[in-house]
Amino acid sequence: MHLTIKLLANRHPSFIARTVFVKNNDVDDACRLVNRILGKEGILEQYRLTRYYEKPFQTRRRVNHEKCKAIYNEDMERKIQFVLRKNRHEPFPGCH
Amino acid sequence: MLNVIKNAVRVSALRCIHSTAPQATEKFDHKRIPADDEGVQGEKIVDLDSVLKLKQNIFPTLESDSLLFGGVPYKDLPICNIRVTHNNTVFTVTDSAGLVKLTRSCGMEGFKNTKKGTNIAAQTTAISIATRALDKGFKTVRVRVRGLGPGRLSAVKGLQMGGLDIVSITDNTYVSWNPPRPRKARRL
Repeated sequence: MHLTIKLLANRHPSFIARTVFVKNNDVDDACRLVNRILGKEGILEQYRLTRYYEKPFQTRRRVNHEKCKAIYNEDMERKIQFVLRKNRHEPFPGCH
Repeated sequence: MLNVIKNAVRVSALRCIHSTAPQATEKFDHKRIPADDEGVQGEKIVDLDSVLKLKQNIFPTLESDSLLFGGVPYKDLPICNIRVTHNNTVFTVTDSAGLVKLTRSCGMEGFKNTKKGTNIAAQTTAISIATRALDKGFKTVRVRVRGLGPGRLSAVKGLQMGGLDIVSITDNTYVSWNPPRPRKARRL
């Protein structure tokens, strides 16, 4: 009940959202977990992007760069998987 | 004699063949690519699900408000707020209602100018406020961190080194997806 009121009053209630309990006095681990979650959710990225105004041409360039990088990474990943694949029908193709 | 000449010719001919690709004459322009941000520690680790599966009871639930820590329910524990910026780190210890009991910043601790924003400054300040908090009778606290900066991790670590029991870590960084226009970009 208390939590429901809290959630209704605030969309990001403190000590409910973005909170991690410290286990076994391992503060470092808890900190890293919080940071990891924030990073994965894109909160830190948004924070950094909104520190300074990004001109539209910069936004366009950034987005294009991200697109190129994603395509490159995807293809490179596929290539690496291809080279590292196991149980090949012909173990060393082209090396007779 | 003829053989020697032949060999010499062959050797010289072999020398001309390069087994490696010629090096690029033009150096790659690294300035065109935006530099990767140094990030926060632990941010870039992708494998999250396996970690979450291993650990249980690390996130607050319906019952966590009334969980007891040293005989005090979670919602009544004092709070240690940490404001981390690039240039400074500010600590405040408040009671559960939010009334400020103690304030300490890297500047108050004797660090001046750019030294205020270092992780060492944050850690020493954290240790000093921890001892003060212990004097006032705050033993178990929950930590609320706001902002990004070099002192983010070391501040929380310093609180623990100072002798405080940290129950939970909360991030309270203000992030908006439709903010007012921010200040103009720095010219580098």
